[in-house]
Amino acid sequence: MSTRRILKAVLIDLSGTLHIDDTAVSGAQEALQKLRSSPVAVKFVTNTTKECKRTLFERLQKLSFDIHEDEIFTSLTAARNLVDQKQFRPLLLVDNSALEDFEGVDTTDPNAVVVGLAPEHFNYDTLNKAFRLILDGAPLIAIHKARYYKKVDGLSLGPGPFITGLEYATDVKATVVGKPEKSFFLEALRSIGCQPEEAVMIGDDVRDDVGGAQSAGMLGILVKTGKYRLADEGKTNPAPYLTCDAFPQAVDHILYNML
Amino acid sequence: ACSVLVMAEWCEPVGRVKGVLLDICGVLYESGDGGGVPIVGSVEAVKRLKEANLKVRFCTNETQATREKFVKKLQNLGFDITVDEVFSPAPAVCQVLKERGLRPHLLVHDGLQPEFNKIDQSNPNCVVVGDAAEYFTYKNMNEAFQILMGLEKPILISLGRGRYYKETDGMKLDVGAYMKALEYACDIEAEVVGKPAAMFFLSALSDMGLEPDQVVMIGDDIVYDVGGAQQCGMKAVQVRTGKYRPCDEQHPTVKADGYVNNLAQAVTILLEHLH
Repeated sequence: MSTRRILKAVLIDLSGTLHIDDTAVSGAQEALQKLRSSPVAVKFVTNTTKECKRTLFERLQKLSFDIHEDEIFTSLTAARNLVDQKQFRPLLLVDNSALEDFEGVDTTDPNAVVVGLAPEHFNYDTLNKAFRLILDGAPLIAIHKARYYKKVDGLSLGPGPFITGLEYATDVKATVVGKPEKSFFLEALRSIGCQPEEAVMIGDDVRDDVGGAQSAGMLGILVKTGKYRLADEGKTNPAPYLTCDAFPQAVDHILYNML
Repeated sequence: ACSVLVMAEWCEPVGRVKGVLLDICGVLYESGDGGGVPIVGSVEAVKRLKEANLKVRFCTNETQATREKFVKKLQNLGFDITVDEVFSPAPAVCQVLKERGLRPHLLVHDGLQPEFNKIDQSNPNCVVVGDAAEYFTYKNMNEAFQILMGLEKPILISLGRGRYYKETDGMKLDVGAYMKALEYACDIEAEVVGKPAAMFFLSALSDMGLEPDQVVMIGDDIVYDVGGAQQCGMKAVQVRTGKYRPCDEQHPTVKADGYVNNLAQAVTILLEHLH
């Protein structure tokens, strides 16, 4: 095992790890408090494309989590950062509720296309508009490429299929900014100012959370809540640094073994 | 008539070419509101081909309307064309469905539905996707997706796999993009009926009673018209109308046997090399 530098940061997934819908994972609030009493920096990372930071923050506040809005880093944030960095004027195919995270961005005369989960924009006319821009040279930025998501009445197409269709039609590869892309994790750590080797990720998605984080050079802790399924820990290579019952156990391990 | 000596190996040796396979959209006309607009010289060009006693067939991936309606539209624009001369994916896929006992859920343009009137669509065990255009709503895509995900053996048949085409009001996504979307969503691979499937070209050749090396294909899609025809052993020519873009002439994998401005120019060159 290679020598690791000291632990400076903990990235924590939200849905499925700290809470399941509107219910907090049992003991999670106290565990977060304990973590905050240690010298590590904490950041909350999520692949949401429908909810702006404020909505996420308010939900966590309601569940009595001690959290600050600027500690939340979402795939929308990652997209916004990229747009700002490159000074793109994007055509935003994102849910109305996510537009708040793009406030202040110039969207006139678009020269880039940003695609999130936005069923109301996945119609023929709007996709043609996006297609023509990309054909003319506009970069295609994908919040993430999920194939589908679960709704009450069954499975529903995610942004992935439509992004794939646009890639095929234009022969252009999308830049994906959400988990499990390496760039997502590196960007989340950039604001803390630490290296991946100095950070650990806690999440319930073996591929997007643990696999992605470990590919970026971090250690990954898989929790058996949320979307975790039996034997998920065998589905990523290398295996998760640690698999444990839930967030409180993950925090205990960090406090007693990694500091 | 005096004309510049043009390098036209695709017409040689003299007398080799006995038939022509023509793409329709982007070669004969440009589709769009109000029925579309003929491409300059194309109506005359088709007449000249037939007057020269060449066999002519039309190979199209058009799937927004039945063959009958589609041909009527072209006849109204002045084209000498009949239903029997047109090869389109819908009749071809109906044959495939019958042969394999498949009952389709149709994700197609409303105008194409009548082509499937004789097909059992109850309790679908496959999805057929065509150029549904404005019928590619999220709801319709989702329905097709859910049906595929509910099948033990998901079968997706795509009427062509074109990436885009040109209409009078601009470039538009073609069925291929939506086929890819469903492939990705369901983690499956679609079967393609229509260009560039070899079966499709060969059925037109068989109808003409000609061998591939006796026929020239003229199209605006460098990969699916030109490349697809070449893969069947035909010579194929790219027109600079329709969906053509200058970068097509530097395509990494397909080199057309000829690049012409339009169908009229292709026909002029061909007729000069007939005798």
